[in-house]
Amino acid sequence: MKSLLLSAAAIAMAAPAVFADTSDKRIALSNNYAGNSWRQAMLQSWEDVSESAVSSGTVAAADAFTTSENQATEQAAQIQNMILQGYDAIVVNAASPTALNGAIKEACDAGLTVVSFDGIVTEPCAWRIAVDFAEMGRLQVEYLASRIPDGGNLLELRGLAGVFVDDEISAGIHKGVEENPQFEIVGSVHGDWAQDVAQKAVAGILPSLPEIVGVATQGGDGYGTAQAFAAAGRDTPLIVLGNRQDEMAWWAEQHAETGYETLSVSIAPGVASLAFWVAQQVLDGADVPKDLNVPFLKVTQDTLEETLAATPEGSVATTDYSLDDAKAVIAEAK
Amino acid sequence: MLSTVISRPWIWSWVAAAAAFVMVMALTQGRGAGELAYAALSFGAFAAIVGLGQMLVITLGPGNVDLSIPAVMTLAGTLSLKVMGSDPNTAALGLLIAVAAGVGAGLANFALIYLLRLPPIIATLSASLVFQSIAIWSNRGLRIKPPAGLADFATGRTAGVPNVALVGIALSVIVWLVLERATFGRWLLASGQNLRAARLAGIPVELVRATTYVTVAVFASIAGYLLASFSGGAALNMGQEYLLTSIAVVVIGGTSIAGGFSNVPGVWGASLFMFLVVSMLNSYGLGAGVRMMLTGLIIIGIVVAASTRRIRT
Repeated sequence: MKSLLLSAAAIAMAAPAVFADTSDKRIALSNNYAGNSWRQAMLQSWEDVSESAVSSGTVAAADAFTTSENQATEQAAQIQNMILQGYDAIVVNAASPTALNGAIKEACDAGLTVVSFDGIVTEPCAWRIAVDFAEMGRLQVEYLASRIPDGGNLLELRGLAGVFVDDEISAGIHKGVEENPQFEIVGSVHGDWAQDVAQKAVAGILPSLPEIVGVATQGGDGYGTAQAFAAAGRDTPLIVLGNRQDEMAWWAEQHAETGYETLSVSIAPGVASLAFWVAQQVLDGADVPKDLNVPFLKVTQDTLEETLAATPEGSVATTDYSLDDAKAVIAEAK
Repeated sequence: MLSTVISRPWIWSWVAAAAAFVMVMALTQGRGAGELAYAALSFGAFAAIVGLGQMLVITLGPGNVDLSIPAVMTLAGTLSLKVMGSDPNTAALGLLIAVAAGVGAGLANFALIYLLRLPPIIATLSASLVFQSIAIWSNRGLRIKPPAGLADFATGRTAGVPNVALVGIALSVIVWLVLERATFGRWLLASGQNLRAARLAGIPVELVRATTYVTVAVFASIAGYLLASFSGGAALNMGQEYLLTSIAVVVIGGTSIAGGFSNVPGVWGASLFMFLVVSMLNSYGLGAGVRMMLTGLIIIGIVVAASTRRIRT
């Protein structure tokens, strides 16, 4: 009796601070890859938001799990384990848009809420927090056109061959070039979203290229591209960057020296925190549309200094989403 | 004279590299030749350094291969750049840390192979997960800039030759001398040709194996240290493409995959080729799918050409 009274008192005391409906819910993050700075920042963002949410009693647990080999089969097994462990929701950054559908369906059938983000899944029972990657590509060419109205030759940096994100961004870039026929893509190399790979690929193709006025990138490859141009003794073209700290530091340096201006655009790794709040809202019984869109994180000359100062050395510019941000994204999709 | 040259298995990788070079030049009408050669030497050097290490391991005989090279590169690059913390005059300290990481990784690999009797493929693959995790844990993937002096050295040139290529050539000369002139080289080749016979002949085969596994890790760590300094910082995925590259340059270079025969010049020819073939296919604007397929076909062609010549002689 006494303990019952006590717990009733505890609930009454805690009530104003918590969303009573989800305080006993457990959320798991299923992540397929951790091997780059973007993913590390993403995991950090998850850790931050989940820690404060757990300590304030919003949810009971929010654990992160990462597979070691970036394989869909491994991640499917991981999701099945999460079902067995009795989680109420799974937030997933998927290794494949389709290969996990079986495991995701099992989770839904077992009554779990599944929210996919960044690497989304096509299984209809899951929520999708998608990024309009094609628009991200098109936007770059639009910016280049605004800066170089006369047009000229472009170099396209692509990501990892065979990954859907790479195809999407590239399709957007080509669409942008169609809309702005004063530009021509004269070379295209795969930089695998890694500065050293991009540097190598660009150094290899540069000798065979005419003058380049602009470079469209996919993120994580802008600094390596700039290095390759410098090593070849060429003028630095207008390189659209991808929010990495080293890229922005390079940009700030160039701006101080020569007045160089460009645009930087990418997805904030903090999208993990958005996914967390969306999962929480679904568990809370809110009416959430299945398809949501994350805004890009754009850095312009005006916001460069501020963003650079807020980004840890060697990391990626990010922003953590709050519950209110999540509600706004949900409202926008309705 | 000509027949002795053609019978050398390494000649084919050089012929292929030269052909790829000429193909690019045909497209540009000779423009940018110096630029391309310079880039090939710079980037080929990294492949050559890890390839030399892999060559020594493969020479140990069937089943010997080091799959932890990418993780060791990442670990050495991450740790050394973290210790240097962009401070000037810390390049030597950073190199020491990188080499120490390499020695540690090599010993760990060999301990798994020797003490637990694991096949090298399993041992090095599982150890690489541990190395990668240590790299992630130590710095969470943050890119720290190399000290300015070291970055200038890694991206600079001496007498028109990239400094990284000079380091690679120096290491190659050492490996060549050890293989051709030193007792250890004879032991290594003998162990690779017939482990049992070598042991019965009184060769300390386990010592040879241990030294070789440590050497490959040290070579990988030097490559990681240089690559991180070259590209403006260590990244968690920086070594990834060197796993297959390290094995490919050994095989294309004419080293016997069955072990017992090494080929230093071939590793260089193959490293230059691996860079030039990508540049060539990129320059001709071929898509990723076609490019990978052609790369595969060309590699098969070279290996077949090199091995048929060896059988005839």
